[in-house]
Order: sequence, then structure tokens, then C-alpha cells
Amino acid sequence: MKTFLSVMAAVVLLPVAHAGAASGDIEAGRARAKICAGCHGANGISASPGIPSLAGQRDQFLQWQLVFFRSGRRPNLLMGPIITQLSDADIRNLGAYYASLPANTAPAGAKPDEAARAKGQQIVADHHCANCHTDSLRGERAAASIADQREDYLIKALTDYRSGARPSVGVAAMTEAASGLNDEEIVAIAKYVATFQPAEK
Amino acid sequence: MHRQSMRWRAVAALPLLLATTVGAAAQGLKSYDSSKPSFWAHPPPDWFLGDETEGQKGLAPPSGPATPTPVDELQTDLKKIKLPPGFRIEVWASGIPEARQMAWGANGTLFVGSFGATNVYAVTESGGKREVKTIIKGLNMPTGVAFRDGSLYVIAINKLLRYDNAEANLDNLPEPVVVYDDMPPYIAHGWKYLVSDKNGWFYIPFGPPFNIGIPPTSVSQVRHVDPKTGLAEIVALGVRNSVGGDIDPRTGDYWFTENARDWISDDLPSDKLNHITRLGEHFGYPYCHQGDLPDPKFALGHKCSEFTPPVVKLGAHVAPLGMKFYTGSMFPPAYKDNIFIAEHGSWNRHQYQGGRIERVIVDPDGKNARQEVFASGWITGQRDYFGRPDDILQAPDGSLLVSDDWAGAIYRISYAK
Repeated sequence: MKTFLSVMAAVVLLPVAHAGAASGDIEAGRARAKICAGCHGANGISASPGIPSLAGQRDQFLQWQLVFFRSGRRPNLLMGPIITQLSDADIRNLGAYYASLPANTAPAGAKPDEAARAKGQQIVADHHCANCHTDSLRGERAAASIADQREDYLIKALTDYRSGARPSVGVAAMTEAASGLNDEEIVAIAKYVATFQPAEK
Repeated sequence: MHRQSMRWRAVAALPLLLATTVGAAAQGLKSYDSSKPSFWAHPPPDWFLGDETEGQKGLAPPSGPATPTPVDELQTDLKKIKLPPGFRIEVWASGIPEARQMAWGANGTLFVGSFGATNVYAVTESGGKREVKTIIKGLNMPTGVAFRDGSLYVIAINKLLRYDNAEANLDNLPEPVVVYDDMPPYIAHGWKYLVSDKNGWFYIPFGPPFNIGIPPTSVSQVRHVDPKTGLAEIVALGVRNSVGGDIDPRTGDYWFTENARDWISDDLPSDKLNHITRLGEHFGYPYCHQGDLPDPKFALGHKCSEFTPPVVKLGAHVAPLGMKFYTGSMFPPAYKDNIFIAEHGSWNRHQYQGGRIERVIVDPDGKNARQEVFASGWITGQRDYFGRPDDILQAPDGSLLVSDDWAGAIYRISYAK
């Protein structure tokens, strides 16, 4: 929306130059993303355990995570050294680039454990995850797209939110949401979300 | 000692809470198991934001840009801001992630708190060039700052910190002294604002860690705290989420803004401007909102006439935060002693409102109050912003500085005939 409005404003008011500075440049992001492809995949779809797919992720969510890595609020041995090189403009460009890539829609591999999925569905409903992540679980603004993310990564993310190892955007919604979950519940959520079909909702 | 006793009172409040939520569950509303201590350490997320209603379904707090808005874009944005004739707004400083409360040092340094960014900033000026430095990192929501007798005070969720001789040591601040920490650890509505009075005591708001409920006794209040001794008194009760206030230069009384509960409707209840006239006054939360609207669930037999009504109803979901009485001489004489309020704007409303600066003209006793919009235009479309004003500070020349935690910037509003 922000991107759309900025672009519209640029078109209407300034037809020559100045394409809304705070919305990133996809092509500049593509060039910068070469350093990311080794782990996150050439098309932003990760084949590495514990490493998230980024294709189709929400622009703002990506930018926030990069800001967290850069400031040290989300400590990470692999990301830390790379991220300190990035400017605010790089961060905006990378957000725009990965958001523009088609998401991984095929459920990742293994046969879903139906009992765990059903449990996960209930927990997701109880915690009102869709309030921020939307009914499609593809997120909006700074709320991540979580549908079809790698199951192992979803488990890691929830575990890290629960322990406080990574921050939430704004008012600590994820820290609070994850704080009461036990390991079994986290696995159930991950199984459900990783194989989520929007039609189920 | 104090802390211990407050915990006990918080626990004592639980049975009542349980009774009411179970009762509500019987009517098909969500219920919460608040009987475990872990509930209070980490209240569930929907508890904090409140019970969703059919009418307000799907509304959620928007998150701002991850990086501060670049200065050229800010300048374009500010052209859309409407002000009364003779006033102008300009970018004063940019690149200040999640900028919140501002305070002047004695030698002209501007100190700025932040929301989630964990930082405190210093803006210095030399040879006409302004520079932004991050001078403190890693605090838990250090939204409130104040400066007094050479020391910088910062208030995070549960600590009031003092950094001595701060202005001379911006690049290497001394270790802080914890001057007050009898404060609960709740993050939700636990971000604070600092106002120092003529004796050096601070007014500090304590919000409840949820939308609506029977608050633990350590919160829903404004305390008056002496940073020298750690002594504290409760000056206001029944306060929901207050993140702004100021002392009336005419009387020395404390006035404060207050954010009302969510999930009733787009137009109810109104946010408030309050005035404390006697110690321990009760402003109504959670029983009564906006002075005349009993809570549908938590009125619990109370009447609104038991509580102090607001001086001004500011409107629903406008989110009034920082405020200041105007004491300068740059603005026209009619502005003397008027109150300027930074309204952060809505999230729990279908068409956002607020996101502007309001002017309130009111007698020292709270009579003859009227309000008008002073600066507006930060809302774009139905539910988006390009900026959200959150604090106001008068500059020595009588202009107003406005901090914006969405754009990560500070603006200056000045007047010329």
C-alpha cells in the first residue's frame, strides 16, 4: 500500500524523477541480494535447514528484520557480519526485491501429521494469529508471511520469540504470543502453518 | 519493600478479575485463565489488545517503516501539512528511529527517547550543522526523557535512570544511577513519559497491561516521584494509558493526556485531557470512560458521577500523547498558555483520525475549554500514515518541535507575521 501510494504520488506529482525514496528499488535489491543467495536460495526459496525462505515475504517485515540484525537486537552469527555493511537504502531495496519474488507455494516435502496439524490449527485460532498475519497467513505490513515457510524454520522462529532471543516489531506481540507455548505446541503450529492451504480457513 | 507489597495487592485483585471474565464467557465472549502467575508475567497478546468485536474486526496496530524516512521524502510530505495562516513546518532533524519524548539539555543538546529502538539520541548543533548521535542503546522502551541539574533522566519500562554530567559526555556517558525501580515489568502500556516539577520530582504514568480489566494495584495511576530519595506518592488513580502531560505554568497543576479503551466502536469512547486538582483523584478507568460512559463489562455497579471527568473530550482513537503548555512569545498572544497535544492517531478505527496536533484553550481551573486542530495531514487514505506526531517541545526561540516516531524525524513549527 505504502509502495503503491508512493508510486502513485510520484506519477501524479513528479512525472520526471524521484520515485518515492522510502520504497525500495527492486533491481538494486536484486544486485545486493547476491550475498544472500548462498543460504536463502537463488530465488529466495531456501533449501537449507533452519534458514528461512524470503521469496514473497512482506517488504516491511524483511526490512525490520534487517534493522534488528544490524543493530544487534536480533543477534545472529551468520547474519551479523554481512549486515553491518548495509545502508538504510540497501535495506529498503532488499525488502522490495524479496517481496517481489513469487512465494514458495508447494508445501515443503514430508507428509503432514494430521493430528498435529489439527492441533496447530486450533492453537492458531486461539491465539488470533490471523489478526496480524491475515486469514491467508501471508501477512501484511510488518507481520510476516508465514504460510509455506519451512517447518524447521517456523519452529526456530517461535522458539526464539519465546526465549526472547529475537524481538517483535512494535508492541512485543510475537514475544507475548509465543511466551506461553510449549515445545509440542510449537511443533503443531509449524506443521499446520508450513502446509497451510488458504481454502481451509 | 514497596515492590513486594504491590505484588501482593496485584494478586489480591485476581479473584475479582476471574469472576468477571468467567461471567463474560457464559455470554459467548472470550475468557482468559488469569489464575496462573505466568498470566501476569506474559499476558496473552489478545488480552493486551483487547477482545475483538464484530464491529471492529480485523483492525490491528499498524507498524511503521523499518528505517527513518529520507529527508527529501520528508520535505515532500510536509508540504501536505495544514497549519493556520502564518505558521510553517520544516524538517528539523531526521534519521532518528522511533523518536519519542524530547528534552533540552542546559547547553542546547536535544535529548530524544525511542520506542522499540532501545535508543536514546542526542541532537547537537555546531556551526549551523545539526548532528544526531545515538548515545544510549539497549534499554527496554526508553520512551521518556528529562533533563535536570546537569543530569539526563531516562525512563524505560521498569527503571528510572540518571546519567550525570550528560551533556559534556555525549560520546561516553557515565554508568547510570538507578534512582527509582518500584515499577512493574509489564511491557504493554508500560512505556512512559517524564515531567519534572519545580522541586525536581517527576510525574510518571503507569498504564495497565491490557485494554480493559481490573488493573493490578501497581498500575492505572500517575505517581509523583522524588528521584533523590525514591519516595513516591500516587496522585491519580483510574488512569488507562497516559503517555503525556505537563505542568500548567499558571498554577503548577499537572495536566495529562489519556488514551481510552478500544473495541467499543469507531466513535466511542473519547480520549481525554485531564487535570489533577487533588491528591489521589480517580479518573474512572476501568469503570467509566470519557466521564459519562459506563464500561459495558467493567462498570461493576459504579456510576460515572463517582469519578473525575475529563476537561476535554479529544475524540475517539485520536491517541493523545505528548503535550505542552505554550509559554513562548513567537506565536501570536492568543496562544499564550494554550495546550498543544501531539495526537499519534488511530489503529482501532475504520477511518483513522488523530495523527495531528491539537490546540486546547482553557482556563487554569479547567473551565471554558475549547479545542481546534492546529496541524494535520499525516494520515493518508483510510488507514495509513506518512508520519505520527508523538511529542511536543518548545524551543528557546518560541517555536515548537514535534517528534514523529513513524518517520523517525523531528519537525519545527514556527510563526512569522
